[in-house]
Amino acid sequence: MIEEKKVFKKRLQVFIRKALKATIKGVVFYGTYFVLSMFLAPVSEIVPGFQQMIEVFVMVYIFLMIIGELTAGTIFHHFFNGAKALFVILYLIFALNGGIVGITVQNVNLVVDLRLFLAVAMLLGLLGFAKSVLQAVNFLNEKAEHVHF
Amino acid sequence: MKCTQTPGKGETMRIPIRMISIATTFFWMFLIVFLVSAVYSVKDVRFDFGEPQIGLTSDNKILFSLPITIDNKGYYNIGCFNVTTEILDHEGFMITRASTFIPVIEKGGQVMATHNVTININDLQNSQDYLFNDTELELREMVGLKLAEVIPVQASTNVSMPWGAPLYNFTLGEIEYAGFNGTHMTATIPMSFENHASFDFTGNIQIQMYNSTNTLVSEGQTTIETPQHVPYSGYIELNVPIIGITENGHLEVYFLTPLFEFGPLVIPYD
Repeated sequence: MIEEKKVFKKRLQVFIRKALKATIKGVVFYGTYFVLSMFLAPVSEIVPGFQQMIEVFVMVYIFLMIIGELTAGTIFHHFFNGAKALFVILYLIFALNGGIVGITVQNVNLVVDLRLFLAVAMLLGLLGFAKSVLQAVNFLNEKAEHVHF
Repeated sequence: MKCTQTPGKGETMRIPIRMISIATTFFWMFLIVFLVSAVYSVKDVRFDFGEPQIGLTSDNKILFSLPITIDNKGYYNIGCFNVTTEILDHEGFMITRASTFIPVIEKGGQVMATHNVTININDLQNSQDYLFNDTELELREMVGLKLAEVIPVQASTNVSMPWGAPLYNFTLGEIEYAGFNGTHMTATIPMSFENHASFDFTGNIQIQMYNSTNTLVSEGQTTIETPQHVPYSGYIELNVPIIGITENGHLEVYFLTPLFEFGPLVIPYD
């Protein structure tokens, strides 16, 4: 009974530590978004739906980040990290319409070519995904070694 | 149970994973900061398009001049700034195209340029519409630049531009004959039009008179100076041999100006 209580207490401590870490990461990420959104405010006034697009991205990203942190120490942590990297790639492709963003404001067509940015972002996303795969492999490897030991 | 003492593969993999993490984080930060600052700095770039001026070139073409001032107070240079103007008629045929290109606008710098568009009216003379009827021209304006010399941005718009005919409602009135001498009569031909163009109409109008047998019986000309948006009303006098006068025939009108030459405009009379 006492042993069970100790195990429960230890698990609770671990969970609280993970939750705290996830909260701090989420707050830092949101804070960064908040600061950057002030710089992007002029764009939000011109481009309809831009603010909404960024907010959806931030929400989903923070959600995946929190879930990833809460599952730290398990293989799911790396799955969620990989999902996060893939989400970034796919969301950028869809949100940026393949890199060519066009809007019409009062009979003026504005086209911004973000293909170079998208290409670099996709490469970084793929690098992040590769890192998650490596981390997953490493995790399984360490676990196997630990069991073997 | 077997016990291994050598460092596992997991230990050796941690270093490349850590390196990838550091590199990825660094590049993401660089990319985001660069993009956000490039976009943010656009608010400190001012484009001033002055009043368009209309004039004539040395080779007698209509010249539209648009002064452009770019004040780049942003954080980055602006590259490949170009303004392109295309003027098309109502059928979509391109009348003229002009571009102004500035390779680099340094940060903190100011650049002034003039975007010139020329129209050669002689190119339009196949269509009488432009000389005698007011019409609409389609103006395609494109402005392109590269933010921070990396991010291409292009703005374009289509607007309708009214074209005022220099000889709008050109009409010749009824010919009045008066005695001149025993063999000739003076034919007075009233003439009127409105100069709706954005330039002054200065030149000669030449009239050739043909009788019903298509014989040239007389010709004459007059010099006209009609400022823009001003109606003209006048007449041309021709000395016509009495034996050549018939009840009907036709007049051939030629317009000779520094801007364009047009003719003959055939107008029957009776």
